[in-house]
Amino acid sequence: MSELVLAVPSKGRLEEQARAVFEKAGLMITRPGGARAYQGELRGLDGVTVRFLSAGEIARELTRGNLHVGVTGADLIHEVSEAAPNQVIFAKPLGFGEADVVIAVPDAWRDVTHMDDLSDVGADFGAHKTRWLRVATKYVNLTRAFFSRHGIAEYRIVESLGATEAAPANGSADLIVDITTTGNTLKANGLRVLEDGLILKSQANLIVSRKAAWSPAARQSMNALLQAFGVAHFDLTA
Amino acid sequence: MPTVADIARKLGAVLDTYVPERTEPDLLVPANDYFELAGEEFGRRLMLTTGVDGHNYCLRPDFTLPVAQGFLRNGSGGAASFGYWGKVFRQRSDGPAEFTQMGLELLGHADADDALDKVLRFVVDSLEAAELTDLTLTFGSVALFEALLRGADIPEVWVPRLRHRFGNPVALDALLLRLGSAPAPQEAGAIPDRTQLIAEITEQMLTDGLSLTEGRTPAEIADRFIEKRELEAARVPHDTLGLLKAFLSISGGFEHAVAEAARLCAEHDIDVAAPIDTLRRHAARLTDFAPNIALSFAAGFAPRLHYYTGLVFEVRGQGTDVLASGGQYDRLLSALGADREIPASGAAIWVERIGEAANV
Repeated sequence: MSELVLAVPSKGRLEEQARAVFEKAGLMITRPGGARAYQGELRGLDGVTVRFLSAGEIARELTRGNLHVGVTGADLIHEVSEAAPNQVIFAKPLGFGEADVVIAVPDAWRDVTHMDDLSDVGADFGAHKTRWLRVATKYVNLTRAFFSRHGIAEYRIVESLGATEAAPANGSADLIVDITTTGNTLKANGLRVLEDGLILKSQANLIVSRKAAWSPAARQSMNALLQAFGVAHFDLTA
Repeated sequence: MPTVADIARKLGAVLDTYVPERTEPDLLVPANDYFELAGEEFGRRLMLTTGVDGHNYCLRPDFTLPVAQGFLRNGSGGAASFGYWGKVFRQRSDGPAEFTQMGLELLGHADADDALDKVLRFVVDSLEAAELTDLTLTFGSVALFEALLRGADIPEVWVPRLRHRFGNPVALDALLLRLGSAPAPQEAGAIPDRTQLIAEITEQMLTDGLSLTEGRTPAEIADRFIEKRELEAARVPHDTLGLLKAFLSISGGFEHAVAEAARLCAEHDIDVAAPIDTLRRHAARLTDFAPNIALSFAAGFAPRLHYYTGLVFEVRGQGTDVLASGGQYDRLLSALGADREIPASGAAIWVERIGEAANV
């Protein structure tokens, strides 16, 4: 990679918002081939290739070092792998794509308001039932790390790739870990967020890969890009 | 200096004297069995792969589970001894890793005391074959902690919750801290009528489309809700909390630490004679057999797996990782489907670590 490869979300609100923050920074993302093209340019800064990818792919490719820098949600980086957050630098929160990763239980569980309660309920499952307490989520790594921090070992994760909020009602899990912005979807499904159940306050970030090949030219473009966003340049090898 | 191959050969020779044949379970095993047995905390350390049938498999992370499953498949009537040697695979914070484990599992032996002594001798023989010195074997006792919980002044509901956290100091300390703090203001107030509460919870669960039987039932939720309100009544007494904390902090040279644990329990009129005697008996026989190994006792030491019972132990060298560990796990075979608890003892030895320790 002789030049800097920047990835931005390929469609929808995220693409528009990413475009807007770059414009505000005096940089114009262009997509010469139209909405179906997957390669673009950054007007205002030379030596940058822009790729349009899904937000999840951007997270994955940043941790693999196939991209130098990208715009994607912090939550998605955590989901690539346990070690992924150490393989990137969260250079700047961009003020959009806000979502909280939270733990929600059935509202009918009146006795469960905090993680401590969940810890007791997990132990009670172990003592009285033939199965584990089950947690539906697509955020496997975040969930494991959070439960471990609270000393809860008695549970199992049920991987869920869509409509996680329906898992307790359809019987595939007892509670969920999911993202929420307004909390309305959770409420509509009879779920309630634990008072200390905020796992991650996520938003779209400008994220730099530690793993990419950093040629002097790429480094120079990177620092110019960071400067445009008002971020001091930093040592990428650190 | 001995080469790793030399040491491996010596260790293998020790194993041969305990069991004539080695058992060789599959390298690739269904991952679900481990998740079902040990939960997510252990499951995160598995090396997983998915079959075309959509099932998850893993590279075996230990021998104990496949050995126990094999024992049950062949009918669990009699007693059997299994020796194994081979690779195990685990995720570590710095990436995937493979290790060589050697071990002995004695399943279904009627004389459980004798089986444990044999396992301890196997470990000691192995470490001495590698010519390791300055070794410390630390005993823990699940039986002693369980006897303490039975005998102490603790509301029934907290007993399994405390037991489940044994071996997990972070969780146990957090729980003791919580039990010792004042109830939150919102927990106070009138205690609701149980029947009324169950009716309300049932209605809400039905409205939200939740099964009344699959997960937590309305009665379980109501009871725990009331229990939280009644925290003052169902409180673990301060005296008991002090006892638990003092007990869990006991750690040191075997004689002194065990005497301290016995004294503490006697002070609170708790009968722990049986587990204390058992500990002393095994330690005495081990000392006769291997006078050069230092023995210690740590009251809070236990593996984080709920199927361990009775005595557990681990061996370390000067400043080394655990070189060998094991103990009694009478609840494993019943957890895997046996119709009763079947006595089981075993130990695993970390071959590479012994190779490293022998070359320091």
